[in-house]
Amino acid sequence: MRTNLADLPAGKTAVVVGLHGGYGAMRKLDAMGVRPGKKALKLSSQFMGGPVTVLIDGRQVAMGRGIARRVLVDTTD
Amino acid sequence: MPRSNSPEGEAKGAVFRVLLMGNPNVGKSAVFSRLTGAHVIASNYPGTTVSFSEGLMELDGQQCTLIDVPGTYTLEPLSPAEQVAVDMLEEGDVVVNVVDATNLERNLNLTVQLLKRKVPMVVALNMWDETLEHGINIAVEGLQERLGVPVVPTCAISGEGMKDLQQSLKRARPGVLTYEEDERWHLIGDIIEQVQQVDHRHPTIGQRLSHATVHPVIGPLLALVMLTVSFGVVRFVGEGLIGHVAEPLCNWLWLPVMQGLSDLLGSSGFIHDLLVGQLVDGQVSFGESFGVLTTGLYIPVAAVLPYVFAFYLVVGVLEDSGYLPRLGVLVDNVMHRLGLHGLSIVPMMLGLGCNVPGALALRVLETRKERFIGATLLAICVPCMAQLAMIAGLLREHVVEGFLAVFGTLFLLWICLGVAMNRFTRGATPEIVLDIPPYRLPYWRALLQKLSMRMKRFLREAVPYVLLGVLVVNLLYTFGVIGFFGKLFTPVITRLLGLPPEAVGALLVGFLRKDVAVGMLAPLGLSLRQLVVASVVLTAYFPCAATFVILFRDLGLRDMVKSSIIRVVVAFSVGGLLNFMMTGLGL
Ligand SMILES: Nc1nc2c(ncn2[C@@H]2O[C@H](COP(=O)(O)OP(=O)(O)OP(=O)(O)O)[C@@H](O)[C@H]2O)c(=O)[nH]1
Repeated sequence: MRTNLADLPAGKTAVVVGLHGGYGAMRKLDAMGVRPGKKALKLSSQFMGGPVTVLIDGRQVAMGRGIARRVLVDTTD
Repeated sequence: MPRSNSPEGEAKGAVFRVLLMGNPNVGKSAVFSRLTGAHVIASNYPGTTVSFSEGLMELDGQQCTLIDVPGTYTLEPLSPAEQVAVDMLEEGDVVVNVVDATNLERNLNLTVQLLKRKVPMVVALNMWDETLEHGINIAVEGLQERLGVPVVPTCAISGEGMKDLQQSLKRARPGVLTYEEDERWHLIGDIIEQVQQVDHRHPTIGQRLSHATVHPVIGPLLALVMLTVSFGVVRFVGEGLIGHVAEPLCNWLWLPVMQGLSDLLGSSGFIHDLLVGQLVDGQVSFGESFGVLTTGLYIPVAAVLPYVFAFYLVVGVLEDSGYLPRLGVLVDNVMHRLGLHGLSIVPMMLGLGCNVPGALALRVLETRKERFIGATLLAICVPCMAQLAMIAGLLREHVVEGFLAVFGTLFLLWICLGVAMNRFTRGATPEIVLDIPPYRLPYWRALLQKLSMRMKRFLREAVPYVLLGVLVVNLLYTFGVIGFFGKLFTPVITRLLGLPPEAVGALLVGFLRKDVAVGMLAPLGLSLRQLVVASVVLTAYFPCAATFVILFRDLGLRDMVKSSIIRVVVAFSVGGLLNFMMTGLGL
């Protein structure tokens, strides 16, 4: 199912399919391993629109909720 | 072995320049310290190196310059620090590309971009020690062959592989790799597949803890525990050192000397008062005499240094363990309401040690709005350890209530002011994109080295200012300046703040040094209410001179004037409010 990293429930794994945000933030995500084809495990999102943390390649990457919303993913199960 | 058909990367110019480049937080600063013997601060969070540092290194009996370039993820600069990195690429003869071996794929992204630029380079596979723990196997020879440049496994914190790295510089050569831009990740994936093998491991305790610390419910609870423990340790260690080491030593060793000097100088007179100070009941008192050699030395060395030591010990552990970026994630939400983002908590925490490094750390903030808000909040709401140590000394009987009142007020102020400035300052606060490093057990030698560096820096910078401060106090008294200003500002000092007129002296000296200023309150016999009000006002009305200079340089005239107006208005209105509220409560 197509969703994004902000809406993906914590504890679920999904495959990144696209980055659709501003150039800077997306380049940075890309360099940190958040890019199409990568499997991401959503670890948590903080309350009240706080940042989202995912595990990619065994490393944690945190991003603001707005940015997470622009990372499209497909759930695997 | 490196390919024999590629050209030798030999030194051509007079001064050979070696650049250390790599992603943020891969250990460049640690490699730099190892290769130069110079000590720079390495911490386990991205962005320790904002501006670059230079050092000298020996290479085959020849001196060459080693440059620690700010960390960058790509050669397309995304931030000012990364722009610095890319600009510097032009000036180097050889690049040492420091790579985090536990995170090879992501790191190779920069490596292949460097190779494409055809700069002579070698690759340091740092964090080699951790690859074993993670079950990562890297075929060094294979990688070397694919990249076409020397590849050396290193562990910068223990020093393993550093000799080899230095030797390999002679074999540095430009890369032979070429690729189309849209093929980059494909190429990297291909290399990874060929040279790296990862055994599946169950999550280690560190990884589990790592997930728990960013959990929306457990995380904040753990943070609360962490901060309480940190606070407790700082207090326990600081107070313990003062009570059991610093004070006894001063009383046994230094007091007799000063008493003798006092007798020698005839117990009074200008020189006596300057050096030894006023006698209290015929005795030298380190806390109250205010001589350059008594109080002037006692404050930095005996009253403040133990707390500074305790603080940096705790901060060092927090930094090296990797906890701070996680704390940054947890508080990001709140910080955005103040117009800052989560990682700005780091400058604020460092500021609690000393505002100067706090102010320097503010430079990582990206926009003008963030820097303005950050600087204003730091200057107003963050007391430094020197000041806190002195306040703790004054509050001896009411430490808990007193500190709750002082910190509670400053914290509330920090939130309210931040929210207000966020609303009224134009500009944006970008969202975070943050790589969270794994937890690491702090390496005690690196920890101690960093600690001793920070203590030395404190002594070097604080002692002269404190001595100057004490000198100024004496001059102020001698020339009746304090009496004059005391009268002039009576309405503010006594009516608004409820302090004795002499307290104006503390406000005057507070421009220079906060610890000396608080020390001046000691002989005044203030009540708890007065101590709390004085502590808050002293924190808020002005940062110390050293911090002011840095903030002024970074913010520019206009923003600094704005920030200063806010500061003065806030300091005195909050001081007055506190006074009236606490009086109303019958304190
Ligand atoms: N286990 C292990 N830890 C290391 C090694 N090298 C560095 N570290 C630790 O990794 C963290 C990051 O090191 P730094 O030297 O600050 O990294 P940096 O690349 O200079 O970081 P920035 O200045 O932020 O770009 C520190 O906590 C170091 O103690 C190593 O070889 N092995």
